[in-house]
Amino acid sequence: MSSIRLENLGKSYAGVQAVRGVDLTVADGEFFTILGPSGSGKTTLLTLIAGLAMPTEGRILFGDRDVTHVPTVGRGIGLVFQNYALFPHMTVFDNVAFPLSVRKKKRAEIEDRVQEALSLVRLTGFEKRKPSQMSGGQQQRVALARAIVFRPTILLLDEPLGALDRKLREELQVELKELQRSLRVTTLLVTHDQEEALSLSDRLLVIDKGTVQQIAPPREAYLRPANSFVADFLGISNFVPLDGGKGVVRPERLQVELIGEHGSRGPSVTAPNATGRVREAVYLGQVVRLHVTLDDGGELIAAVSPAGPAALAQSGDAVAVSWQREHVWPLEATRSGAEAARRAAFHK
Amino acid sequence: MTAHADTLAQTRQFAGGRRNIAGPSADTLRVWPLLILLIALFDLPLLFTLGLSLYGKNGFTLAHYAELLNTPAYLGVMASTLRVSLIATLVNALVGYPLAYWITGLDPRRRGIALACVLLPFWVSILVRTYAWIVVLGNGGLVNRLLQWGGVVDEPISFLYSEVGVTIGMTNVLLPFLVLPLYATMMRIDGRLTQAASSLGASSWTVFWRVFFPLTVPTLAASSLLVFMLSLGFYVTPAILGGGKVAMAGNLLDSLINQIPRWEMAAALAAVLLVITLAIYFAYARLGRWSRA
Amino acid sequence: MKRRDFAIGAPFVIAAATLGSGSVLAQPKVIRMVESGGKSGESIEVAYIKPFTAKTGVRVSREAPNPLGKLRAMVGSGNVSAALFELGSPSLAQAKALGLLDKLDWAAIDPLPIFPEARDDYGMGFQYFSTVMAWRADAKAPATWADFFDVDRFPGKRALPDYPHYLLQFALIGDGVSADKVFPLDVDRAFRKLETVKKSVSVWWKAGTQPPQLLKDNEVRYAISWSTRIVDEPTLRFTYDQGMYDISWLTVPKGVEPAEKALAMKLLHEVTVPENQVRATEIIKLSGNSVDLERLVGAEKFATFPTATKNKASQFRQDAEWWRINGEAVNKRWETFKLAL
Repeated sequence: MSSIRLENLGKSYAGVQAVRGVDLTVADGEFFTILGPSGSGKTTLLTLIAGLAMPTEGRILFGDRDVTHVPTVGRGIGLVFQNYALFPHMTVFDNVAFPLSVRKKKRAEIEDRVQEALSLVRLTGFEKRKPSQMSGGQQQRVALARAIVFRPTILLLDEPLGALDRKLREELQVELKELQRSLRVTTLLVTHDQEEALSLSDRLLVIDKGTVQQIAPPREAYLRPANSFVADFLGISNFVPLDGGKGVVRPERLQVELIGEHGSRGPSVTAPNATGRVREAVYLGQVVRLHVTLDDGGELIAAVSPAGPAALAQSGDAVAVSWQREHVWPLEATRSGAEAARRAAFHK
Repeated sequence: MTAHADTLAQTRQFAGGRRNIAGPSADTLRVWPLLILLIALFDLPLLFTLGLSLYGKNGFTLAHYAELLNTPAYLGVMASTLRVSLIATLVNALVGYPLAYWITGLDPRRRGIALACVLLPFWVSILVRTYAWIVVLGNGGLVNRLLQWGGVVDEPISFLYSEVGVTIGMTNVLLPFLVLPLYATMMRIDGRLTQAASSLGASSWTVFWRVFFPLTVPTLAASSLLVFMLSLGFYVTPAILGGGKVAMAGNLLDSLINQIPRWEMAAALAAVLLVITLAIYFAYARLGRWSRA
Repeated sequence: MKRRDFAIGAPFVIAAATLGSGSVLAQPKVIRMVESGGKSGESIEVAYIKPFTAKTGVRVSREAPNPLGKLRAMVGSGNVSAALFELGSPSLAQAKALGLLDKLDWAAIDPLPIFPEARDDYGMGFQYFSTVMAWRADAKAPATWADFFDVDRFPGKRALPDYPHYLLQFALIGDGVSADKVFPLDVDRAFRKLETVKKSVSVWWKAGTQPPQLLKDNEVRYAISWSTRIVDEPTLRFTYDQGMYDISWLTVPKGVEPAEKALAMKLLHEVTVPENQVRATEIIKLSGNSVDLERLVGAEKFATFPTATKNKASQFRQDAEWWRINGEAVNKRWETFKLAL
């Protein structure tokens, strides 16, 4: 297994800077995600690490080995693409055996390891199928088996679940995570799907316009985004006043109480931070999402438990919204000396 | 048609594409008039030709085929036709494949120019093209003058008026039929397949022979078959560039139809050529199914 | 037999019903002619069609080329769309034997004086062309076919026709047969003679444009060629001595509409008018059928034409009837010979 280190990595195509100044260390065995919208440079970053393109500046190290100018074939990485990139003219067995046979392994060893890999992705018995005879989820599992069968030190996944429908995607996410944990292979996932990034990663990197926005564990990035871009990209953000500046608070951190016809409220102790009216109540099963228009014209989105009283709110109902100060994360302009203290508080 | 196309179709389906509705539909019905027209225009004349070869003074007869098989000259012409066509097809594939591969690697502007060059022969009459080769390869042609001027040879080399000349000429004329389909197929091959292969540890050589080439084989085979079938009917090019020494069925058919004239013999000869071509086609189709199964 | 007739006839009947339905008694505005195209077609247009149209107001549309197969298909289908069809002499013999032609109405043609051999029940010989020996000006000049076929005394590559019809005669004369006794051909002897030269033949040509080009490009030093292709080449030489003249014919396909045939006869009359033929000679160096042509053109200017008195006397005539009977057998020999090259 191997760590990945990027030092001041940059790449420009015909004068356009696709990626610049990326410094990053992915630890041995870590599940690391590069997250960004399309055109952010995340795919460029992956192609640089995979060796499919050469950087215009900076260095790439796998462990202590400088691979900056090593072509793909010499990097020993397992690569999985969104469109599976299975060899259509080969059977499942031959696809998975490919990295072993190009390494001139003995037939018996190939048999064993292909079987092992196929059983890891739960595809035993599919050896003789052609990729075209399998479903998308199965094909992606074949691609995964092919990428791990030669025991690479690094696994690169480029939007591997992007072409699958939601249910399948969630199933495969779990499998992927289990697989990665059992193999302890350093894994780099590139995705634009923030849920996927949050649920799978040990740490994640948010990139936009070719520049790194934040590198953090999912929970920290979600609750304490480095800037409004990260805040927005990682989920629904409510921007609220804080210390004369602006802070962000997540919908599930908001408490909503229905105000009765006579202005009566529930047994809440504290005064609400704001009042307003429900514009829209969206029932999502696990949560009810309330879009609240505040009296001062602002807008908040709250996620409340469907079991609680606030879930009964209907469009037009008057509500009181409150939040705790420590759940509000200050953004750029607001952040100053207070930040360090908050960070320390968060980590303890 | 190919396994690769199947995968593409599948990918599109999973990406949200609509499945084709099975069973007859209005679309299928609309095909019939065209189909009937095609059968009337192309297949009926073929049947009449076949009929012509099977009828004599007293009705049905195999006498024409018997005569054909008992005339060594005609059999020889057929053998020569098959051999020349086979050589032309092989040379075509050997030249056309690398050419198509090279073109796919160019930037879009140069690709356009290169494709136009390949297509150029389509826009020039076959006669002009054929004579152009005389200007280039003749005794007093460009190549020989350069060779003599450079002191490489004293006497001009005869490229023309032999099977070499015929092969060069036929390759030139038929190249687009091979290069264009191959080019289209190669462009369609997902670059990620080769990227994946090299990430999995395959050298460029291995990537080409184990991933890229197999994906182009169905097209290579189909277009080679097409070139071969077109070669069988070649007439003008062998007559001129072969100096009349390279026997082709087209020439023989011309004299059997227009000089002698024995249409029933011509029909029998054409039928035999058709059967050979169909046999090759079915062998190919069978091979394709077998390799996919 | 019946089934065959039906099978062959069906599409033609349909085609005839759609295409040939305009038969009316009124005089057609245009008639069609199938001819060999190129300069020859151009000369027909200028020399004969123009005066014909001026007199009758009827246009003539020309169509090339003119293989015998086309005539056979036309007559076989019952859809006779052309009033005139040009044929070479071997094709004329074949067409007569296959019953593809209508007799000409010579009374209606009312020809001016023409050579007797140009008058046939089924065709009018309208164009004389010669097959001759030709060579580069810088090559040793042959005087006879014996010289031409002697590759030791007259070294250099040859270009010979890929048509036995225009080759075997010369091989026999080259082997010592006298020109007036060459038909019936001694086929075995002709092929034996060809065996002796085949190593020196670099091209067996199919198109009339090939031999002059091959001579000029120095691909070959000696060639058998149509005279008309050589006449105007300053660097090439040829002779009518021991050459063979042949005639191209205008014929009427069987089953043509009577009104169209009547017009065709009028056009054929124009073909016999010597003044018209003079115009043709200005386009192509081939003779028409008029006995007065040499006088009208002038002997000196006419000296390079196939029917100049001196030229016609030194040549022999193609025997199309012999070829009609023996063509197929010779052709099989020919294919065998070619395969062994």
